[in-house]
Amino acid sequence: MARKGMVIDLKRCIGCNACTIACKAENATPPQVFWARVLEGEVGKYPSARRVFLPVLCNHCKNAPCLEVCPTGATHQREDGVILVDYDKCIGCRACMAACPYEARYFWENGRGYFPEGLTPFEEVGYRKFQRKVVQKCTLCAHRVDNGLEPACVATCPTNCRVFGDLDDPTSPVSRLISERRGFQLRAELGTDPSVYYVQ
Amino acid sequence: MAPEETKDDTWIPTSCYMCFSSCGTLAHRVDGVIVKIEGQPDCPHNWGKLCPKGHAAIMNLYDPYRVKKPLKRTNPEKGLGVDPKWVEISWGEALDTAAQRLKKIREDDPRKLILASWDVVVLHGLGRAWASAFGTPNSHWSGYFCGNALHPTMYLTNGSFHSEADLEYCNYLILFGNQMGFMGGINPNIMAQKMADARMRGMKVVVVDPVGTNAAAKADEWLPIRPGTDAALSLAMVNLLLNEYHLYDAAFVQKRTNGPYLVGPQGRYLREAGTGKPLIWDIATKRALPFDAPIEAPALEGEYDVDGVLARPAFQCLREHVRKYNPEMAAEITTLPVETIRRLAQEYGEAARIGATIVIQGRELPYRPAAANQYRGAYAHRHGFLTALSIQLLNLLIGNPYVPGGHRGVNLVGPNLSWMPQETDGLIVPPNTIGHGANPYNIHVAPPQTTELTELMPQAYNKSSMNQMTVLDPEAFKLPYRPEAMLHCRTNIMMSRVNPEISAQTLKNIPFIISFARELNEVAEFADIVFPDTDNLERLDLLPNQTYLAMSPITGYWYWGLRQPVVPPAGEARDWTEVLLELAERIGFLDELYEVLNITLHLSPPHRLDPTQKYSPEEINDHWAKSMFGEEHGLEWFRQAGYLKEKRQVEEIYPGPLLKPRFPIYFEQLISAGEQVRTVTEELGLPWDTSDYQPIPDWKPCPAYEERGSERDLYAVNYKVPFHYQSFTSENPWLNELSEQHPYAYKIMINTETAKRKGIQDGELIAVESAAGRAQGRAKVTECIHPEVVAMAGVLGSWARGKPIARGKGPHFNSLLSLDKERVDWVSAAVDACVRVKVYRIEE
Repeated sequence: MARKGMVIDLKRCIGCNACTIACKAENATPPQVFWARVLEGEVGKYPSARRVFLPVLCNHCKNAPCLEVCPTGATHQREDGVILVDYDKCIGCRACMAACPYEARYFWENGRGYFPEGLTPFEEVGYRKFQRKVVQKCTLCAHRVDNGLEPACVATCPTNCRVFGDLDDPTSPVSRLISERRGFQLRAELGTDPSVYYVQ
Repeated sequence: MAPEETKDDTWIPTSCYMCFSSCGTLAHRVDGVIVKIEGQPDCPHNWGKLCPKGHAAIMNLYDPYRVKKPLKRTNPEKGLGVDPKWVEISWGEALDTAAQRLKKIREDDPRKLILASWDVVVLHGLGRAWASAFGTPNSHWSGYFCGNALHPTMYLTNGSFHSEADLEYCNYLILFGNQMGFMGGINPNIMAQKMADARMRGMKVVVVDPVGTNAAAKADEWLPIRPGTDAALSLAMVNLLLNEYHLYDAAFVQKRTNGPYLVGPQGRYLREAGTGKPLIWDIATKRALPFDAPIEAPALEGEYDVDGVLARPAFQCLREHVRKYNPEMAAEITTLPVETIRRLAQEYGEAARIGATIVIQGRELPYRPAAANQYRGAYAHRHGFLTALSIQLLNLLIGNPYVPGGHRGVNLVGPNLSWMPQETDGLIVPPNTIGHGANPYNIHVAPPQTTELTELMPQAYNKSSMNQMTVLDPEAFKLPYRPEAMLHCRTNIMMSRVNPEISAQTLKNIPFIISFARELNEVAEFADIVFPDTDNLERLDLLPNQTYLAMSPITGYWYWGLRQPVVPPAGEARDWTEVLLELAERIGFLDELYEVLNITLHLSPPHRLDPTQKYSPEEINDHWAKSMFGEEHGLEWFRQAGYLKEKRQVEEIYPGPLLKPRFPIYFEQLISAGEQVRTVTEELGLPWDTSDYQPIPDWKPCPAYEERGSERDLYAVNYKVPFHYQSFTSENPWLNELSEQHPYAYKIMINTETAKRKGIQDGELIAVESAAGRAQGRAKVTECIHPEVVAMAGVLGSWARGKPIARGKGPHFNSLLSLDKERVDWVSAAVDACVRVKVYRIEE
């Protein structure tokens, strides 16, 4: 079975946050919830300093700590490695949030939208799939992937810094990128074996 | 329409309008609700890619704070923070009131109406035609943010409106105060992709900018320059290239520029008696011959006696002129190290591979894979016109215009070479199709008739900045009337102009203001009548990607598309084009408007508009489409198909060798332009600075540079972030939320050492004070900024009550600027956008 994964080329990324907002548009995530984000930092001293960008999302780890701690089986892993949350089973204990070393999980507390006046028609439709007081996170756009599409963040990236594919197939573009450009995982030392790789 | 009635699930092709670029989008509508917007994979403008602003457009559409009914002001007092006491009225009443008032103005003196808009698509379609039929020449008032100094200098030096580097083949790119390829400018998504590809294949990017922008973050080299000194750097580089390293394209300068034109003692060309053609010295025959004669060996250097007049080739003049810009002097001005300046010039000149050629699709073309690109950061200063020309010299002297790897304007030649540049004195002049009649050599200075002072600015293109001064005091500028009314749509001349207090006074000087508004923004607060405007997803615009403005050759295609309504307008909102047509009818000039449209839209029979008939905006667009593309390509065709596209031929991407006119490296017409402006302004008794009308550019200090040594010890500048555009995107809750979490977007950047000296910690509230105003915000203590500079992003810090998301978010940079004659570039009409400030911590 193919293991779905992603390689993010940090050399190409320009920190524009198209992924951040494309994810919002695709998944209609509520306020303060960012399934995709771009972290920013700085390296060096003036005048040799520069800002650095690190796009992050759920790593859909092979050895996922969130999966291990979930008391109800709400968090589950598909055969293709995608980790999902079954909102009906989630009791909102948030053990998974504490366990995730990547801060990729969110808790939608109040059910409110972006405007105090109430939900917009877009939000009415978009939030239907969610439940309050449960945990949610990046689905690797499973609904798109299952229909042969790429995740929204991959499809929209203006610099093509994200490549999506099968990590188990050594000939796939993701596998080739990882081997040719020495791909690495975030906090690999934890042994979580993320499905999201980075190259520099 | 209630959602349950629709029962649809459709993807509709349309175009984004979250910036002027207008990327192709697909809007997914389910049961009447837009549930997703994404890039249109089939549209060459962006090939399916979309930036954060484009995705976020849904949240603007469904903004509950949108104006949904016409409003009338009941509080006659206008001012910042003054409640207009709006009352909802019917469209009938709103239109009656507006039409009556405008009709009177039209009968009295139609010039008293100003159309203020940055809706570029409508302006070049219906907007200007409407103004013209009404009888007012005042049909453009936006902010000062645009390419004030870019457009006229590009029209002059490359014959087009724009400026870009060929990322396909360039190997060495210097970005002066701009972020091309980092989500800014034309075709931002494709530029970002091509930039990433180019960097991956090893193109070196050098970013010259006081701010460590996104572009600087990815550059091979970031050169933090002191604001307002880019011309000192570029002229030092020109000096090194010409006088020390001898890295310039002599063959190009001889044959393809006015470098060999003979210049006499007064800086004027020597001209052939009778024909008036500029002369060139032929070394072979030792004679001065007209520029278009077959000349074997045009002289670039030396001094020649032509019938008793001593003359030097323009190139020689340039070369001598720039000698004073030695790298040591430039280093002192710019704060960049001498060795860096030297290395930059040498690397650039060597990367240009002068003399090299490349074969593309079977055609051998000159290959100059080095370029210097610029935008607002470089030239938004006093003397900005000269700065822009100085930077352009770096392109012209290596012979890179319109060849692979080099620099170019946009669409100098049309599809199948259907348009080509014109020429004056053998020099390039924009084709009418993309030039809107701009001809830098056609100089007619006259007493002012327009609020933009067009008549006194013979080289400028966007003179929008001047409106504020002239409306404040028409007599001072000898304007023969006082503006009485303004139509304001899709711009925000409160936020994007200098200083709100001054802007408020300006607006109070206009007795009757109609604001077409999506939300009650800072200008609407000064309006007498507010018309609820449509959102981008509710409106119809044919050809949002205009060839002159927003269609880079980088995509490899020509394309024509549309923006179409995906959902019906919210509430009683109506598109402003539709309202303009109705106003024209009520005022009584609809027939004249049709006549003007027949001309401006080039409508040919049988698609001309009949002045005795009445047409809806859809019908007018249908006529336009059919007239332009044939009977089978009417509006309906575009609605279904989205885009008509055609692959570009090599010569339509790299027309360099095909072009007949020469490129100017010596700007002789500026002497005449300056003389004319001096004569007219002296006759009018109008104090006016004409000292920048000079044939060879110089670096001159901007006011902020000259103010060094005062208690205001830092410069303040603004810069662009990839997820904001103009003043409206901060009202978008997604973009606002992103900005609130972003380490820089809503903050004030200050260098670590500078902050330490001032006792400012990261995240503390700080005040930034100029002589004119004040801004405040949280400090972002960073290594990524010049130590003499503080920087703020874009146009933030809204204050209108009708924009509760944006209100108070981020500092309002423009509050720091003042409006006076010292802070304007008198050739291009650019407003100086860097200012001296005092920065201190605010006790909380």
